[in-house]
Amino acid sequence: MADFSWGSRSPLEHALVAGAHGARGTEAGVSLTEIRDFDLIQVMARRGQAAELAKAAKARFGVAAPNAPKAVQTSDAILIWSGPDQFFVLSKGGKHTMQTLAPALSGPASLSDQSHARALINIAGSKARIMLAKLSSIDLHPEVFPIGSAAATSMDHTSVTLWRGDDRPDGQAVFSLLVFATFAESLWHTMLDAAAEYGVEISHSEELA
Amino acid sequence: MRIVCPFCGERELGEFTYLGDAKPVRPVAGASEDEVFDYVYLRDNVAGETSEHWYHGGGCRAWLKVARNTLTHEISAVEPAAGAGARQAVK
Repeated sequence: MADFSWGSRSPLEHALVAGAHGARGTEAGVSLTEIRDFDLIQVMARRGQAAELAKAAKARFGVAAPNAPKAVQTSDAILIWSGPDQFFVLSKGGKHTMQTLAPALSGPASLSDQSHARALINIAGSKARIMLAKLSSIDLHPEVFPIGSAAATSMDHTSVTLWRGDDRPDGQAVFSLLVFATFAESLWHTMLDAAAEYGVEISHSEELA
Repeated sequence: MRIVCPFCGERELGEFTYLGDAKPVRPVAGASEDEVFDYVYLRDNVAGETSEHWYHGGGCRAWLKVARNTLTHEISAVEPAAGAGARQAVK
């Protein structure tokens, strides 16, 4: 019988080539960083139990879970709105997994492990917003989409969860994007095409921020 | 055409899918064949204000009830459909 390797692999393992891409000669206008090995749990309130879930989530995370398109930073996770009465719990290092979240939240909510079902891509750089404007129909201007904003939307006909986390230390905005694993390679190539004229710095990271 | 999703805000038409008339109500179990036939097949072809179900599949995946004028495409109201999110399915 054939031996199988069940180790987790990034859906961008082949498409992502670290280094420079597109226009050269100046500082890259866009940086694309894939974040690998994260824990992602979707939490969806059971019918009629949105208020109970809000209470349980507040007790579990210390802050209120988003009930509108927002991304909330907790001490060790990011809670991202993904639709009415539902949100994602994004973390690293096994802090928030099905095993640890279920006892606290599975009463008022259904939990679904999406850790290996999504790719997570961080988009930054001086031209990040201009590049995203080619692919997204929503307004990402800082006055409309400030830090902590989130959106369930489509880019290149592909459903994505998009949010703006804390700025980088140099003040640059960082947009984060969750996309279905099987659509990640397609969207990745689309983003590379959109960003090529500005110069792209490509990398992957084990760190969330 | 754009639809202001009550959960997400204003979005382009491409994120939504049209289901159809929101007016027909499923007949009770044991209803007559005529009532079921009406519910399944018969639709008004309205020139003016209509109530329609739309699905925000390219966004928050909620079902919406949209009041739209078929003559002008003007949308006068959008509300969550019964059962959107964790809401009760039947009011």
